Amino acid sequence: MSALLLILFLILEFLFLGFLGMAVEFIDRKLYARMQNRIGPPWFQPFADFVKLVAKEDIIPEEANPMMFKLMPVLALTAVFTAFLHIPLWDSTPLISFNGSVIVIVYLLTIPTLTFFLGGWHSTSLFSMIGAVRTLTQLFAYEVPLLLSVLAPAILAHTWSIEEMSEFYSKNPLFALTNAIGSIVAMIALQGKLERVPFDMPEAETEIVGGTFTEYSGRLLAMFRLAIDMETVVGASLIVAVFLPFGLHSGPLIGFVLYLAKILLVILLLALLRTVTARLRIEQMVVFCWKYLAPAALVQIIISLTLNWIIK
Amino acid sequence: MSWLAKLVTWARIKSPWIIHFNSGACNACDIEIVASLTPRFDIERFGILLKGTPRHADVLVCSGPVTRQIKDRLIRIYEQMPEPKFVVAVGTCSCSGGVFNGCYNVMGGIDTVIPVSAYIPGCPASPAAIIDGVAKLLGSLQGKKPDEKAEIEAIVKKPLEAETSTNG
Ligand code: SF4
Repeated sequence: MSALLLILFLILEFLFLGFLGMAVEFIDRKLYARMQNRIGPPWFQPFADFVKLVAKEDIIPEEANPMMFKLMPVLALTAVFTAFLHIPLWDSTPLISFNGSVIVIVYLLTIPTLTFFLGGWHSTSLFSMIGAVRTLTQLFAYEVPLLLSVLAPAILAHTWSIEEMSEFYSKNPLFALTNAIGSIVAMIALQGKLERVPFDMPEAETEIVGGTFTEYSGRLLAMFRLAIDMETVVGASLIVAVFLPFGLHSGPLIGFVLYLAKILLVILLLALLRTVTARLRIEQMVVFCWKYLAPAALVQIIISLTLNWIIK
Repeated sequence: MSWLAKLVTWARIKSPWIIHFNSGACNACDIEIVASLTPRFDIERFGILLKGTPRHADVLVCSGPVTRQIKDRLIRIYEQMPEPKFVVAVGTCSCSGGVFNGCYNVMGGIDTVIPVSAYIPGCPASPAAIIDGVAKLLGSLQGKKPDEKAEIEAIVKKPLEAETSTNG
């Protein structure tokens, strides 16, 4: 019985995450359009896109490996959803919590990128292979700054569990302000992880057709798109939980509204970044990440270590 | 129609992704198609997105007559698109061959090679006419008559009127 309940709960949670993902995609597209002085899509657009794609024909290229080709979108969805279960929403307690959950979340968020790579690679189209290689190159650029920037708050809080981290920062909100550099680094790295402008080289439509997803169509593409939407939510929630843990003990309702407001803030910043920049070249991105982002994250770690030493 | 079929038709009308293919146009039609993709006309209002790959697209927007050289590529692009798919012929040339009709290197209109769902004449067809044609194509999905537009008309109308009045 309890197993049934758990499954039901997980399905509900999955639907919730899917809904949130589509809402976030709409908000992002609308903000993008408004900033470009356009009207933008109607509110049901992501849902209409999803239904249309699900109802379309699935084409699997003759050369492709059908197993891998079909498995990758499912894996991407699974990994993102699993990461979501580790992130606290309205208070500081996530569904699954243990010491080390921060690292687990960051690594679970790496899996979608790997599935993009494998999916693109196994579709054996030239364009998707170029996209896949770029995806992997990007991974090496933004992954380290992201991990380092999440590391710094953990050092200050003396814990690897995201629950205890949020707990620590909601008790000492002033300490959260010292992580400002880290939060900016994490935000830019997240933009890279989500493969959005200026880091959208893997999908660059004007040069390599559709990038990693060139050969994907119908249901499989819908799953990938949903996975990216969900990843946006999960990434934003991670940033919110690590860098903005304010007002966590004000009851589920206010807490939830606060959570949505904070996610909205992160999405707004990401959309702003997408609007004001243009696509970089792949080597420009790697240089940017290693020359500026990674050192900035290191500075954040030094700040945290110094603070640690002062309070002790 | 069951509610599921209705939902799918609704989604198809609300989210037509297009791919643009030049099958031998003189480029003026292409410029007009590109112009209709700009923020000034903002076709993302109707859910229309330009896609780079035929695998993602629902509507193949062709411009120009089919030259003998491009014929095989056009068929190949068409066959790479997943069902259900539609073809829109933009410009007089792609409707009938236009001024190039009878040339030694030209097959004729798009429909000599692949089935076409909507014809948009004009030399070149203006962005307003292109959007209008796509709206009519989507209307035919709802089972409307050829000269009736889809229900997105209500949103289409206002900006387009502003468009014609400012352009004179
Ligand atoms: S219809 Fe006119 S503008 Fe368009 S391709 Fe033909 S000649 Fe050029």
